[in-house]
Amino acid sequence: MGNTPSSHKISAQDKAILDMKNQRDKLHQYQKRITVLTDREKAIAKEMLAKGNKQGALLALRRKKYQESLLSRTDSQLEQLEKLASSVEFALVQKDIVFGLQQGTKVLQEIHKEMGGLEHVEKLMGETADAIAYQKEVSEMLGGRISNQDEDEVEDELEAMEAELSSVPLPDVPAAELPTKMGVEAAKEEREEQGVRMLA
Amino acid sequence: MTTTHTSTSPGPPPATFSFPRDYYFPPFFTRQPQRTTFHAQCQKWSSLIQAYCRAHRIWKLSLVDALDTDLFYNKRLGKRLSMADAREIVEFMRTEGRAEWIGKPGAGEEGGTAWIWWRTPEEWAGAIAEWIDGTAQKNTVLTLYELTESEATASEEFHGMDPELLQKALNVLVKRGKAQVFGQEDQQGVKFF
Repeated sequence: MGNTPSSHKISAQDKAILDMKNQRDKLHQYQKRITVLTDREKAIAKEMLAKGNKQGALLALRRKKYQESLLSRTDSQLEQLEKLASSVEFALVQKDIVFGLQQGTKVLQEIHKEMGGLEHVEKLMGETADAIAYQKEVSEMLGGRISNQDEDEVEDELEAMEAELSSVPLPDVPAAELPTKMGVEAAKEEREEQGVRMLA
Repeated sequence: MTTTHTSTSPGPPPATFSFPRDYYFPPFFTRQPQRTTFHAQCQKWSSLIQAYCRAHRIWKLSLVDALDTDLFYNKRLGKRLSMADAREIVEFMRTEGRAEWIGKPGAGEEGGTAWIWWRTPEEWAGAIAEWIDGTAQKNTVLTLYELTESEATASEEFHGMDPELLQKALNVLVKRGKAQVFGQEDQQGVKFF
C-alpha cells in the first residue's frame, strides 16, 4: 500500500467486511447506471412517439421495463448484502463484549483467590471481632485511669477556687435592730385571729 | 464549467455566485506593476479563486478551461485575466499553501492544472476525522466510495470529493496513526482508530 506501518492491525474479518462493502458499492453504482439507462429509454420512447414511430417507442419501453426488473432484483441483493455486513459488524461487537466479560471475570477470580476464599474471610472476621473486643477493653482501662487523674485535678481546682473566694471582703453586719420575741408572737396571734374571722 | 474534476458534485452548482466588489473593478484584471499592489492583488485573486472553487465544488482547476469561465472573464466589463497572470496567481497561491500544480507547473500551451486548496489536505483530514468521531465509526471498515458518495455523507463538505484528494487527506490520518488504508487499488477501504 505504501502507507507507513501502523501499530493497528487489519484483521481477516476487516478484509471480509471490506469485500462485502465493495460488492455493495458496485451494486450501488450499477443501480445508478441502470437508472440513467431507464431515464434515457423513457426519453427515447417519448421522442419516437412524437415522430409517430409507435413500434420504436414500444421497443424503448420494453427495454426500460427490463432495466427496471434488473433494478428491483439488485434492490433485494443490496438489502441482503447490507444485512450481512451489519450482522458481521454486530457479531464483532459481541465478540468484544464477551472478551471484556471474560477479562472481568478473570480479574474478579484473581481478587477472590488473593482474598483466600470464604473460610479465610470468615476466620478474618472472627479475628477482627476479637481484636475489636480487646481494643475496647484496653480503651476502657485507659479511660478509667484517666478519669481518676481528672478527678484529682478537679478537686485541686475546687480548692484553688475556694481559696480565691475567701480572700474576697464580706459585707458589713446590718445596723438595724432585730424585732423582739414578744413582738413576733403578737403578730402571729393577730394573723390567726384574722383567719378564724374569715372562716366564720 | 469545463474544469477538470473527476468526482461528481453533490448537487448542481449554485445558480449565482456573488463575486466581490474588486471583480467589477477593471484594474483587477490587469497585472499591477507596483510590487506591494501586485501582492495585494494576488491575495484578493487567491481569496476569489478559493471561494469560487468552494461554491462550485471544484477540486482541480484547469487554467486553459477556466480562462473562458466567469472566474477569469468578466463579461460585463469585457475584461479577461491573461494566461500568464493566471499562472502567476496560482503560483502565488502555491507559495501560500493554497494550490499545488499537477504535473509540471504551467506545462506547455495548456497552462497547467492545479489543485485548489480551499481546504488543505490537512483540513480535509480533520473534517473526515471529526465526522468519524461524530458518527462513532472508529474501528469500522469503510470503503473510499462510501466516504464520498454515500447518502450518509451527503450533508458533509467532503461529499463528492475527488478520489485523489481523498487519498491525500487519508494519508495525513495514516501518518498520524489515526487510520489505515487497505485493499486493492480500485477497491480500497479505510479503518479509523
